[in-house]
Amino acid sequence: MTAEHKYAFYLGCIAPNRYPGSEAASIRTSKKLGIDLVPLEGASCCPAPGAFGSIDLNVWYAMAARNIVLAEQKGLDIALICNGCYKSIYEVNHKLKHNKELREGVNEVLKEIDMEFKGTIDVWHLGELLYDPEIVGVEKIRESIKVPLKGVKIAVHYGCHLLKPKKERHLGSTENPMWVEELVEALGAETVQYRNKMQCCGAGGGVRGYDLTHALDITNEKLTNMVEAGADAVVDLCPFCQLQFDRGQIEIEEKFGIKYDMPVFHYAELLGLAQGMNPSELALDLHAINTEPFLKKVL
Amino acid sequence: MVTKNYPDPKLNEKLRDRYYRRDQSNPEFTKETEKLAGSMAHMCYQCGTCTGGCPSAPRSTYRIREFMRRGVLGLEEEALTDPDLWLCTTCYSCTDRCPRDLAPTDVIMAMRNLAFRRDIIPVNFLKTVTAIYASGHGVPNNDVNRAAREKLGLTRDPPTTHMYPEYIKGIRKILDHYNLKENADRIIKEREG
Repeated sequence: MTAEHKYAFYLGCIAPNRYPGSEAASIRTSKKLGIDLVPLEGASCCPAPGAFGSIDLNVWYAMAARNIVLAEQKGLDIALICNGCYKSIYEVNHKLKHNKELREGVNEVLKEIDMEFKGTIDVWHLGELLYDPEIVGVEKIRESIKVPLKGVKIAVHYGCHLLKPKKERHLGSTENPMWVEELVEALGAETVQYRNKMQCCGAGGGVRGYDLTHALDITNEKLTNMVEAGADAVVDLCPFCQLQFDRGQIEIEEKFGIKYDMPVFHYAELLGLAQGMNPSELALDLHAINTEPFLKKVL
Repeated sequence: MVTKNYPDPKLNEKLRDRYYRRDQSNPEFTKETEKLAGSMAHMCYQCGTCTGGCPSAPRSTYRIREFMRRGVLGLEEEALTDPDLWLCTTCYSCTDRCPRDLAPTDVIMAMRNLAFRRDIIPVNFLKTVTAIYASGHGVPNNDVNRAAREKLGLTRDPPTTHMYPEYIKGIRKILDHYNLKENADRIIKEREG
């Protein structure tokens, strides 16, 4: 199948540098679904909205704008796979397009590096492109599946910055959304509803670095609720949430003495598995939590 | 003639200023917070919906409603020197649920910006800055990951500033425009020697 939809693939930090399987899976699975993800050369950290936004919003705007301009220069919309990046890149793009004063301020800084924000592109999360029936849609995903993920229950963690704040997004309900569940069920898996589904993973806003125990206590509450609902694995759309749930479980065991062994996947990784990618093509061995028991169930 | 004014001009001025003030109140703090946040914090009627849905509230003394009040009352010292200011995970639940359509999360971000102007900032925030100044990435690549990438058929370094370091110069120019690296280095050195 030839790709009809082409995007500049904005990688961020954690996916390419900690969970490269998500990057590889995104590229390969998208190709099968008619989305061509091309490299965005020279992109940097989005930059981290919690850290940079807290220090100086103006630097956050300018740094994010530089990444956006790289895609403008390619004449391509951006697709990305991280909620934190989505906050930076989507939100700054939107703000600069609609706020002249802000745009002029940012462009004054960008002029120093011969760049200009023009506002010519849009920014998308790969998840929303996969769900959009005009781009891919659930039906087409279902048709692309070779290995249905039968017999497992998945808890969906949406993450915060994909959907919230609602008035600055366009993805509907932030209290009980169900569209990622639809994406997961298209892979043949079951999904579970659990208490306080929309709660944060605990890592954002610089809290993971500032007070790890506090962040982990939030993560721990979510994991407890997922286990209570009978989940075999967590799926998310954000490598930072993934890191918090995955490595977080090791830290939770050290700090609180509680062990979950709950595998954590980015949606792209699950899609890859269901499309028949070999686990070795997804670098699942880099996950902190062993994915073998889960793989035995589905493969 | 009917007038809403009082004969005493001082009393007039005091009563026209509808805000409650204490010795510690700084009206400029309220204005700056609102401007940076892009949200009219003074419209907050203290219902507490924000704190009720806050994931940080049940496990700490952090109370977003209290920070909203501090913002409105101009209690700069109290707000900026409170270590709880850094416990917001920026999940935006409060912002989504605020019945006054305010953005408490952005009020917190504004206060953090104002705190940074006074060198009040946890060091971990600054370390992200120095990491990006060095490589363009807040979370840089490593050898284990490079080997894994190669096995996956990806380039050993992603096609970001890692593969094209010539772009780092532009990033440094932006950060230097705001003296951010210089300030980060200085504060980290003061704290950690």
